[in-house]
Amino acid sequence: MSLTARHLEANGLPTVIMGCAKDIVEYCGVPRFLFSDFPLGNSAGRPFDPDSQALTLELALRVLETAPAARTTVQSPLRWRDDAAWKLDFSNLDRMTPEQIAERRREFDEIKAIARAKRESGA
Amino acid sequence: MPFAAEHDVPIPYMQRTRDYYERLGFPPYRWAHFAAVPFTPLARPLAHTRLALITTAAPFQPGVGDQGPGARYNAAAKFYQVYSDSTETVPDVRISHVGYDRIHTTAEDPRTWFPLAALQALVKQGRLGALTPRFHGAPTNRSHRVTIETDAPELLRRCREDGAEAALLVPT
Repeated sequence: MSLTARHLEANGLPTVIMGCAKDIVEYCGVPRFLFSDFPLGNSAGRPFDPDSQALTLELALRVLETAPAARTTVQSPLRWRDDAAWKLDFSNLDRMTPEQIAERRREFDEIKAIARAKRESGA
Repeated sequence: MPFAAEHDVPIPYMQRTRDYYERLGFPPYRWAHFAAVPFTPLARPLAHTRLALITTAAPFQPGVGDQGPGARYNAAAKFYQVYSDSTETVPDVRISHVGYDRIHTTAEDPRTWFPLAALQALVKQGRLGALTPRFHGAPTNRSHRVTIETDAPELLRRCREDGAEAALLVPT
């Protein structure tokens, strides 16, 4: 998505990204970014929380309107929860058993095989 | 006021993924990285701007397995070409085909990844001038080359065709 934002912007179309993966988006380098410090999957706000979703969208639009230069990141003031322990879990091998790691390896191979077959069939 | 916990920072996804790939025995992934970043100022106030919505969510496809809340990663639900659909209603788009946080979110509320209804409301309120007649779906394959050479130009073409004056991109 960061690559697409860059391409649109380079061709005269202003963009803003709403997302949760701060390091990846900023490492790529994008014009405008509204960052929510939430688990991946919640770029547009918290589930079943219309106020959170409305604020997240409004912040993104304000970033679109007011960013003074490229690489403008604004972090939403919303927190997923008070305890930040959830941040330690994502793809954290130190928190998985050897059996879980082996299962992840099998799953990854299966995903790659499905994706390859689908891509080759032109789906 | 006490300091926040040391781990209370944005998740270092790149380092986490590097460690993960290494332990699983996969080759390292190289993320896109540029020194220069383009910038185009908004030409008119948002209340007079036509906005395009671009999503990585996939249309629900019957027959390709579980795409519901909490579904395991479903590569069969992926798409490999840009798609577009109407912004008049709110279509059924899912995220089972991407690596969202399956421990801490269940993907039950589509409004957390697809803010079309919220955008429609802002148009009614006059905060936003208009939406383009279509939103667009961006494939989530791992090839930078395909994204740069094929998908991004196609998304630009469709945005221009729809008269977009700005774009909101919502990855998952």
